[in-house]
Amino acid sequence: MAGATHVLPRVMPRPALLRRRAVRRAATFYLLVSPWLLGFVLLSAVPLAGALLMSLTNYDGLNLDYVAFVGVDNYARAFSDPEAQHALLRTLLLMVLVVPTGLVLQLLLALMVDQPIRLSNLFRTIFYLPYVIPVVAGAWVWKIFVDPSGGLVNALVGAVVPDVNIRWLVEYPTLVLAVFTIWGAAGGGMVIFLAGLQGIPAEYREAAMIDGASPAQVTRFITLPLLTPVIFFNLVTGIITTLQVLVQPMLLSPGILGLSPGTVPPLDNYLYPVHAYIEIFVKQLFGYGAALLWLLFAVVLGLTLVLFGTSRRWVHYGVEA
Amino acid sequence: MEELKLTTTRRKILIGAGALAAAAAAAPILAACQPTPKTGGSGKVTVMTDPNEFSDDDRKTLENATKLKIEVVKSDLTTLYAMFAAGNPPDVFRVQAAGLPQYISRKMVKNLQPYFAKSTLLKPDDLAPANNFYKWDGKQIGKGDLYGMVKDWSPDFTLFAYTKAFDDAGVKVPSDTTALTYDELRTLANKVNKKAGGKRVYWGFVHSNNDQWIDRTAMNMLAEKNQNLYSDDFSKLVISGNPEATKVIRYLYDLAADGVNETPIDPSPNWMGADFNEGQIAILQYGYWFSAMAESDKTKGKTVMLPAPTWAGVRRDPTMTATGWVISSQTKDPDAAWAVFEQYMGGKPAQDRAKSGWGVPGLKSLYPQMPQQTDFQKQVQKVLQGELSKSDFILQFNPYIGEETFSTSWKKNLEPALKGTISFDKFVQNIESEVNTAIADGKRIIGG
Repeated sequence: MAGATHVLPRVMPRPALLRRRAVRRAATFYLLVSPWLLGFVLLSAVPLAGALLMSLTNYDGLNLDYVAFVGVDNYARAFSDPEAQHALLRTLLLMVLVVPTGLVLQLLLALMVDQPIRLSNLFRTIFYLPYVIPVVAGAWVWKIFVDPSGGLVNALVGAVVPDVNIRWLVEYPTLVLAVFTIWGAAGGGMVIFLAGLQGIPAEYREAAMIDGASPAQVTRFITLPLLTPVIFFNLVTGIITTLQVLVQPMLLSPGILGLSPGTVPPLDNYLYPVHAYIEIFVKQLFGYGAALLWLLFAVVLGLTLVLFGTSRRWVHYGVEA
Repeated sequence: MEELKLTTTRRKILIGAGALAAAAAAAPILAACQPTPKTGGSGKVTVMTDPNEFSDDDRKTLENATKLKIEVVKSDLTTLYAMFAAGNPPDVFRVQAAGLPQYISRKMVKNLQPYFAKSTLLKPDDLAPANNFYKWDGKQIGKGDLYGMVKDWSPDFTLFAYTKAFDDAGVKVPSDTTALTYDELRTLANKVNKKAGGKRVYWGFVHSNNDQWIDRTAMNMLAEKNQNLYSDDFSKLVISGNPEATKVIRYLYDLAADGVNETPIDPSPNWMGADFNEGQIAILQYGYWFSAMAESDKTKGKTVMLPAPTWAGVRRDPTMTATGWVISSQTKDPDAAWAVFEQYMGGKPAQDRAKSGWGVPGLKSLYPQMPQQTDFQKQVQKVLQGELSKSDFILQFNPYIGEETFSTSWKKNLEPALKGTISFDKFVQNIESEVNTAIADGKRIIGG
C-alpha cells in the first residue's frame, strides 16, 4: 500500500450552491429551535419584561385604571422592609443548610450506584423517585411522617426515647424543610453526578491504581478533580433552586395542607419567595412583589457571578495531553 | 470565503433570535393597537365558582334555561387576580363579603340594581337580609345599590356541640335556648378541652375557620359595643388605641394561649369541620350550613346546635361570609351574565340548594324548603329560627385591603407570640403596623 496514493479530484462547489445549502441549514436550525424560542419569548421574556415594568408601578392586580408610575419606590421600600430582610436571611440559611449537604448526598448516591453491583438499576430508580414525585404528594407524605401522633419519625425516636411527642413542624420547621428539600432534589443531582462519573475514562483510574493509589486516593485525586465541572453545575443550580423555594414551606406549614394566600408558614420558614407571594396575592401589591423578585434575581445573579469568578481556581475542564 | 459568510454563527443566531423575540413580543402589542372586535353575544358565559357549589347538573340546568354555554373556572383568589391582571376576568365570579368592598371600590364589579329592578325571579322584597352585604352606597356596604347576591347564607356564629366530649368531662351540655356569654364559653371550653399522653382528644372550642376569619369574629363581638376594628373612615386598624378592641383581641388570643383552639403551635392536619366529624372538637363555631355535614358516623346522635354566644349582651348573628356571586364590570355580555346569575340565584338550582340544607336560601320565599325531617334537623331549625331575628346586621369590612390581610398578619404573629418570642403588646403592634401599611397602600392606589 505504501506509495499507493489516490488523488481525489477537487471539485469546487459553486458559490450559489453553497449559499443555498447554508440558507437551508440556517432555516432548519431556526425551525428546530423555534418551539423553544417561542416558548422562551412568550412564557419567559415577555412576562419578565412585564414584571420589570410592573415593579415600577403601584399595580394591585385588580384594576389597570388605578395604575401609576412610582419609579424606584418599590425597590427602596424593599431595603427598609424588615420582613423582607428576615425572609432573605432565612432563605440564605436554608441555602447554607441544603446546598452543601445536598451536594454531598447526591455525590455519595452517585458513587454508590456507579458501582458494578447487582440491582444497581433498581437503586438508581429508588433514589431518583423522589425527584419525580409531585411536590404536593411528597409534602403530604412528609407531613404524615412527622405527625406528632402516630407519625413514623416519632415512632422511630420513640423506640429509643419512650413517650416522645415532638411536634416537628412546629418546633423544627426549618430542619424538616431542609431535609424535605434535600430529599426531593437528591435524585436529580445524583443522575447528573452519575453521568459525570461515567464520563471519566476508566484508564485514568486504572493507571492510578496500577501506580498503587488506594480507592480513596483515586477518588480524591482523579475522580473529584475531573468531576468539578459537574459539582460546579450542581452547585450553581442548587443555589438558584434553593433561593426560589416557595411551595415547600407553604405545604409544610402546620395545619391543613394547602397552597393558598391564607397559608402562612412558621416564621422560621418565612422565606423570601413566600414574602413576595404574600405581598402579591394577600396584600395585592403586585408592583412591590415584582420589585422583591427582581431584587432576588439580582442576589441570584450576584452569587452566580461570584461562583463563576472562583471557578477558575477549582473547576477543571478537560484534561490536556 | 463565500461559505464562511453564510455559515450559521453564534452572532447570527443571537441576531435571529432577537428578531424573532422582538416579533413575538410585538405581536400582541401590535394586535392591541387594532380595533377590538366586539365579542359580546358570543353565547358563552365564564363562571368562576366552587365546583362543590355548582354541580354539573346545575350547569346543564342553567344552560337549558338560558340557552347559553357556561364555562366553569374553579374559584381561587390567585387565579382571579391573575385573570384580572390579564384583562380577561370571568363574567361571573364567586365572592365573600369581606372581599366585596375592595372589588366594588375598585370598580371591578357591575352595579346590578337595574337588573334586580326588572327581575321577576329576584324581587327586592324577597331578598334575605344577608344580601345587604352586596349593597354599596359609594362609601360603605349595607346601603345603596345591589352589586350581587348571596347564593345562600347562614347566621355564622352559632355553635355545634359534640355531647360525648361533655359527657366525658362530666359537664352539662349548654342549653339550646339560652345563649352563652363568650366568657362562659371560654370557661366551658377549658373544661372539655382534653389531651392524653400529649396527644389531642378534644379541642375545647375551635372557631373562625382556623383563624382565616378571625377579624370577622372580632368585628362581630365588637359590634355588640357599636365598635369596629377600623376607624370610621377605614383609614386605620385601631386595636391598641381602643380598649374595647384590645379586650376582644386579648380574648381571642387567650383562647389560643389556653390551648383550646387549633393554633400554629398546636395545629391539626385537618380543617376544623373534619375534626368535628372525627369527634375531636367539643364546641365548634360554624353557621347553619354545617348542620348538613355535622352528623358523621361518629357524631350522629351526639351533636346539637347552640345559639351564637354574646360578648356584651346584645346578640348579633349575621353571616360572616355572605358567599355569593357578582358580575365583572369588564364582562362583554352583561345580559348573558345576568341571565345565568338570575337563574342560579332564583331558578331550580336555588330551590335545590334550599332543600339540601347547605345554607339558608338567599330568597325568603325559599325558607320553608329547608329540610326538617330528622330529629337533628328539627333541633337545628328550632335554633335557627331564633337566630334569624339576630342576623340582620352588616359587618363593615375595610375597602382598602384584601380579605386575607388581617388574618394573614394574625397567623404570622400568633406563632411567635404563643412561643413567647414576642409579647401580647408586640403581637398587637405588629398586626397594626402590617395592616395599616396595607391600608395606606390601598388608599394610595384607589384614593380616598
